[in-house]
Amino acid sequence: MPHALFKKLSEAVLKMDEEAAVELSRKVLDEGLDAYSAIIEGLAEGMSQAGTLYDGGEYYVPELLLCADALYAGLDILRPHIKTGEAKFRGKVVIGVVEGDVHDIGKNLVKTMFEAEGWEVYDLGKDVKVERFSQEQQRVGACVVALSALMTTSMLAMPKIIESVKSADPGAIVLVGGAPLSPEIAAGYGADGYADTAKNAVVTARNLLSASNS
Amino acid sequence: MQKKRDSSKDRIGCLLSGQRIDRVPVSTFILGFAASATGCSTADIYSDPQKSFEAQLKTRDIYGYDSDPFFGYASYGAWEFGAKIRLPHGPYQQAPAVEGRLPVETEKDVEALELPKLACDGMLPGALPLALEFSRLQKKHGMRISVVLGGSFTVSVNIASEARLCRWMIRKPDLVHRILRVVTDHLVGVLTLWAEIFGAVNVVPQLWEPAASNQIISPGLFEKFVLPYQKELHEKTLELGINHILCHICGAHEKNLPFWREIPMGNPGIVSFGTEVPLRTAVRTFGSRCIIAGNIRPSTLQTGSKELVRTLCREAIENAKDAPNGFILMPGCEMPVNTPPSNLQAMIRASEEFGRY
Repeated sequence: MPHALFKKLSEAVLKMDEEAAVELSRKVLDEGLDAYSAIIEGLAEGMSQAGTLYDGGEYYVPELLLCADALYAGLDILRPHIKTGEAKFRGKVVIGVVEGDVHDIGKNLVKTMFEAEGWEVYDLGKDVKVERFSQEQQRVGACVVALSALMTTSMLAMPKIIESVKSADPGAIVLVGGAPLSPEIAAGYGADGYADTAKNAVVTARNLLSASNS
Repeated sequence: MQKKRDSSKDRIGCLLSGQRIDRVPVSTFILGFAASATGCSTADIYSDPQKSFEAQLKTRDIYGYDSDPFFGYASYGAWEFGAKIRLPHGPYQQAPAVEGRLPVETEKDVEALELPKLACDGMLPGALPLALEFSRLQKKHGMRISVVLGGSFTVSVNIASEARLCRWMIRKPDLVHRILRVVTDHLVGVLTLWAEIFGAVNVVPQLWEPAASNQIISPGLFEKFVLPYQKELHEKTLELGINHILCHICGAHEKNLPFWREIPMGNPGIVSFGTEVPLRTAVRTFGSRCIIAGNIRPSTLQTGSKELVRTLCREAIENAKDAPNGFILMPGCEMPVNTPPSNLQAMIRASEEFGRY
């Protein structure tokens, strides 16, 4: 059973209550509770539930953004207090909006979901040159590269990025997402996975990673 | 000298005036594709009205679709309210994008937001001088005049950013209402100017609304923030004497359709849909008062085979051909720059094959 405070933290995120997230995070520290557990069982759990509500059509982008604001407000307080060696990252992910595209709202939501789930995220931003993804994946040793595009023309950069990532590291997992994409197009581009929502992106990454490790 | 078009060949004009046509017209938002088809740059399409017009005219002559050349871009608003715009360049860009600081980044910016001055003697902001020049070319060639603007919400997003507007709709709704007020007044001002210059009955404005889709906002927020301003924009447009509005309801708007139904489109209006809204639903919702247009998925046009495009076009035609005010076969949004020519040809052939009346 999660601690009662962690449950409240989760609710604060789900209810988009940034002030409560701050107050409760401070209380976690004041009471000497474990910061990492508070993040995972509280803040991240709230964000995960928000993602579920989005998938179910109850929350939309405005609500998700405000949940993310509450999440980050709590993380800012709790993260510095994670004990060394305690935090086990699920993995490293390099994320960005592909070259030619400046629409980053979807990418930012995916980033939030990855961070909430305990991934180490390397965000390249938007309108990212093709070769940067592979360079960053190699630099940080990321196991996942996540590509986003909103424009039909800019998604054409994806197969080139996938080729460049895979030729440098055939074991790297590449996910794609964005309005013009579909599972068929993703497969045709050589991506390992496709996700239609931010939450699904993380679930897909987790599943692919676990399959590749087994 | 003004060239007069053979009106019997103007299928869309026939639909607008309630006349019979031989087959389903094919219309496209073709911009960057026209550049690649004719050898000019995509940037020219958005920055050189003469080149843009000629490229689009030549492309229409090559392929034989029905829609006229037009000038416009989806990020309308930012430049017109004082930001900078970057013309498309490189292999992966298809349209201008906003560069640098947006007109609205702080609450103070909202308070300071002013209507850009509009006068046809060179005092037009942003892309409007180019749009005006383009409209004069349309007039010269005897075409309908199509000024392209975003809906009130999309232009507000272009001015203030989607994320900012999303947060403010819940946290600071008054700021969003203030932006929407100024933007709506601006859009009505532009349409008033076009009606004065070209004659209201000759103007068929295009109002594109992608940002208010349910991929971004809930139907509840649509009702509160989009409906009142979009309705006012359309009502005031029609009060000017403009008879037809082409409203591009872009993206997933199915849950917003009850609200869109409250918005007048003209007599008849043209309502074009993205792939996300089934055409049968579109016909059921708007068919009695509007021409329905849509909705072949642009990414399929870009990446799919011509056989797949033909199949999708056939389905679209079968679903909407007999709409009371007619149907126009269109992509669900802009025809992608890199669409294989055979896929555009497949659209037109599908109309010839399956769209006969």
